[in-house]
Amino acid sequence: MSLAATYRLGTRLFWRDRAMLFASVITPIGLAVGLPVLMRHVVGTATAVTVSQGMIAMLLSITAFMNVAVALTNRRDQLVLKRLRASRLTDGQILLGQIAGTATQTVILIVACALAVRLLADVPLPANLLAFAVAVIAGSVVLSLLGAAYTAAIPRAELAAAYTMPVFLVSLVSTGAMGPIPLPSWLQSALDLLPTTAVVTAVRTGDLVLPAVDLAVWAAVGLVAIRLWFRWEPRRS
Amino acid sequence: MTTIQVNGLRKSYQGFEAVKGISFEVSEGEVFALLGRNGAGKTTTMEVLAGFQRADAGSVRVLGLDPVADRAAVRQRVGIMLQEAGFFPDLTVAQTVDAWRDFTAAPRPRDEAIELAGLAGRPGTKVRQLSGGEKRRLDLALALLGRPDVLFLDEPTTGMDPEARRNTWAVVRDLARQGTTILLTTHYLEEAQQLAGAMAIMDQGEIVAAGGMAETLAARGGRVAFRLPPRLDPGDLPLPVTVDGEHAVCHAEHPDLAAQTLLSWAAERGLRLPGLEVRTATLEDLFLDLRESAR
Repeated sequence: MSLAATYRLGTRLFWRDRAMLFASVITPIGLAVGLPVLMRHVVGTATAVTVSQGMIAMLLSITAFMNVAVALTNRRDQLVLKRLRASRLTDGQILLGQIAGTATQTVILIVACALAVRLLADVPLPANLLAFAVAVIAGSVVLSLLGAAYTAAIPRAELAAAYTMPVFLVSLVSTGAMGPIPLPSWLQSALDLLPTTAVVTAVRTGDLVLPAVDLAVWAAVGLVAIRLWFRWEPRRS
Repeated sequence: MTTIQVNGLRKSYQGFEAVKGISFEVSEGEVFALLGRNGAGKTTTMEVLAGFQRADAGSVRVLGLDPVADRAAVRQRVGIMLQEAGFFPDLTVAQTVDAWRDFTAAPRPRDEAIELAGLAGRPGTKVRQLSGGEKRRLDLALALLGRPDVLFLDEPTTGMDPEARRNTWAVVRDLARQGTTILLTTHYLEEAQQLAGAMAIMDQGEIVAAGGMAETLAARGGRVAFRLPPRLDPGDLPLPVTVDGEHAVCHAEHPDLAAQTLLSWAAERGLRLPGLEVRTATLEDLFLDLRESAR
């Protein structure tokens, strides 16, 4: 009951925050739909498909990762998390409600963008729709979880968006969403291990085994980091 | 029956020892005031008892449970009004209460909680538009939603106007009458004196005075104050007084008897003692005496 309550509250607050809506919904949708449509008309279908699938990484890094990190850091610094902890909610319910809400919104956005690109520019949907669904759901959950864990590295709420920017950029580069960027092979190999890359790989290839292992490892990393370092209150000066 | 038990509690932050081995107990249905200056360790003590911090040493029990290890069980029976905590600014008062009702098993009806906290005219107001005192009242509404057996109130009336403060006092008294155990910290000594049956005064992390409120104050006697009549030598008075300008103060174990003595003495000489005021010791007197003796 309480988990459902925190889920509902998190979702309700998300849709009320106009600044965050612009940053984590309007802008990403504009990019995730606009760029593939543009590529389809300027370059061709194959490039549009690559960019469209790469945009999943962008949506995961902004709508899931950044959104959770900014929301939780703000609530931590404004002592809202502390007040929630004074209620009858457990720590797990507070965090899981937020993570589940954000993951749901991310899944909806990714599916909506894929459909929009299909309808607007005739860019085909992923060939293996089951792999697409599983990878997007798992990726949304893992990136939301990692966003919650990442708040420990963010010193103050006003720095939250800036601190998540490198994650966003690296995610885009690693999946080719910004076009072909020549990278040293060792760096490309390292970037292939990112959870966003795992999701895009699963969508492109239809193979779920290696991406699932990758995401499971990242999920474990996120859980351990939350357990060890998550802060419910700002640091005492 | 003891509801809150603190035994040898110690708590440090980054090398600073905020609480230095304090002990006290609060009985079921008692209102207990924890007093002291800023930085005395009151809020740290409250936060350990509420399960937000883990004690470095010593033990604390609330309803017989460890507030950290048994947090989920303790929370089911405890209401907490924090000194500092935020709200969701874009939710209204009613929406905030509704959200917290969702977190609470068998909560009070929304309107009852809002009315109890004195916010009956503000359910549709966004939290960001509330005054500081109104936010404290909303905080109280949330703390009372689950009809708690134990209530932690950290500076509950800070920022409230006098009427709201007195309404809050009435709520606290009513809850105590119904058997709720209440631990209160406050800067307002009158508030502590009005509400609490027992108290402890903290200074620099230690308890420097503790006991039943009435007994502690009665033991400190009282005072008779008046303006000195013109040309009267204070040494001629039948009781010793301290003089500050034209004001004289006689400290006495029984201030009523001291007043009788002074008035009889004045009447025999055809004198008046203007502005005469008789009162027993207040918590403020005790507090100031303790500060004076600590210097």
